[in-house]
Amino acid sequence: MAWEPRLIVIACHWCTYAGADLAGSLRYYYPATVHIIRVPCSGRVEPEFIAEALQRGADGVFIGGCHFGDCHYKEGNYKAIRRFKLLKRALTELGVDPDRVQLEWISGSEGKKFAETMTAFDARIRELGPNPMKGGA
Amino acid sequence: MSKPKLAYYLAGGCGGCDIAVVDLSETLVDVALAVDIVFWAPTVADAKYKDLEAMPDGSIDVGLISGNIRNSEHEHIAHVMRKKCKTLIAFGICATNGGIKGLVNLYTTQQLLEKAYIDTLSTDNPNKELPQTSITLDGKYELTLPSLMYARPLNQVVNVDYYIGGCPPHYEHVKKAFTALLSGQLPPPGSWITMGKAVCEVCGRNPVLQGKPKKFATTVKRTIEGVPSEDGCLLEEGYLCLGPVTQGDCGSKCPAANVPCRGCGGPIPGVKDYSLRAISAIASMLENEELVEQIPDPIHLFYRYTLPSSFPYKRLKS
Amino acid sequence: MKKIEINPMTRLEGHGKITIFLDEQGNVDNVFMQVVEFMGYEKFLIGMPIEEVPRTVSTICGV
Repeated sequence: MAWEPRLIVIACHWCTYAGADLAGSLRYYYPATVHIIRVPCSGRVEPEFIAEALQRGADGVFIGGCHFGDCHYKEGNYKAIRRFKLLKRALTELGVDPDRVQLEWISGSEGKKFAETMTAFDARIRELGPNPMKGGA
Repeated sequence: MSKPKLAYYLAGGCGGCDIAVVDLSETLVDVALAVDIVFWAPTVADAKYKDLEAMPDGSIDVGLISGNIRNSEHEHIAHVMRKKCKTLIAFGICATNGGIKGLVNLYTTQQLLEKAYIDTLSTDNPNKELPQTSITLDGKYELTLPSLMYARPLNQVVNVDYYIGGCPPHYEHVKKAFTALLSGQLPPPGSWITMGKAVCEVCGRNPVLQGKPKKFATTVKRTIEGVPSEDGCLLEEGYLCLGPVTQGDCGSKCPAANVPCRGCGGPIPGVKDYSLRAISAIASMLENEELVEQIPDPIHLFYRYTLPSSFPYKRLKS
Repeated sequence: MKKIEINPMTRLEGHGKITIFLDEQGNVDNVFMQVVEFMGYEKFLIGMPIEEVPRTVSTICGV
């Protein structure tokens, strides 16, 4: 059986998850390799979630949250971007391909953008190949 | 009633934790009278590995191991200690999380050996010889060395009963730990022996304990830039103190000496992956995301003591 | 030839091993001292800010 990527998407309830829902209602196709986990806010995402996903074999991890100023909890997305940037810097230096871990702001009305972003993410991970940590560590 | 037996093994460490026990000074006399030290190699007693291997299984009550597991000899003796000791304690941050010597996981063994034996400026090695695991000199002298492997904390090799962090653990904390050990008042097996407070909770620079509000860090500074204030929080001033996520059994000695905490105490209770939690905490305390780019060297800061125990455990490709 | 290994060398910081080779009469033919550990600070310190290095290299020997 050919390798199919396993993509974990951690989506904030108020924006990105709603955007994913909208993509479904409007019948915008996005790849079935995407597995969505709903969190109350992108600020809930700890670097440990991303690390655990990669360690357990996820080929890519994507974090979706609200645009600046739109966060339901006011500052959650600001914390998310700061943690994400520092984590990405550290992981890139340690040999994790930076394109495996991505963050984008997708609002509840951007169903089309969600579908397009997921398609692009899936394509990029297919180019990168399977997670080298799969089955190890 | 016979005295409990104690054994101490230094694996891939520096001996500082051994000295932390010796630093008990007057209390050490009481400890030495209360226990029977049957093995302490290689730092303090003249015991050999074959003496340890000759002891009956389970005959030693408490075993302490400091230093990480770096070569096949360390791994072998760690397994022997696990068999001979009823309770095994990972002593010091090298044994619990990998320690500074765990930073070897950033490179392959070949790269480390080549730098040390060939590429350094002051090394005189014209034939570019590297140490081998076995060699026969003059055709008759067979010599062996243990094989090097990537560094691991003790719990990736054997089951560990208790963890004590610190580089080295402060002697006050060692005193409390030994008292708890000898009186049998220990937490459930598998946990850290700690008072459970972060460095910030015991730090004299904590603004909250002084009644002031907490503020975000507006700059990122190296310790050579500027002068820290008398009693202000070092993290607020931009010095990236890792106090919020580090155990405070040391009593926050480094910030009291105007130096930011670097995390040698180990993770606070509830944190499995120290480096990632430190990344999360420090990034959250910065005022904006441009400051993240100004942090000079995240790897040697967040992973300094805990690379072998924190994702991704070693560099994945050079 | 007969080999006696004294492992580890004690009352010091670090791991060392002494190997004594005896000839047929039981006299010492040759003795070798080997340092059994290797750290690697020369390589992994590269990239660290200079002001952090003294705090870090003090762990080469804690005694």
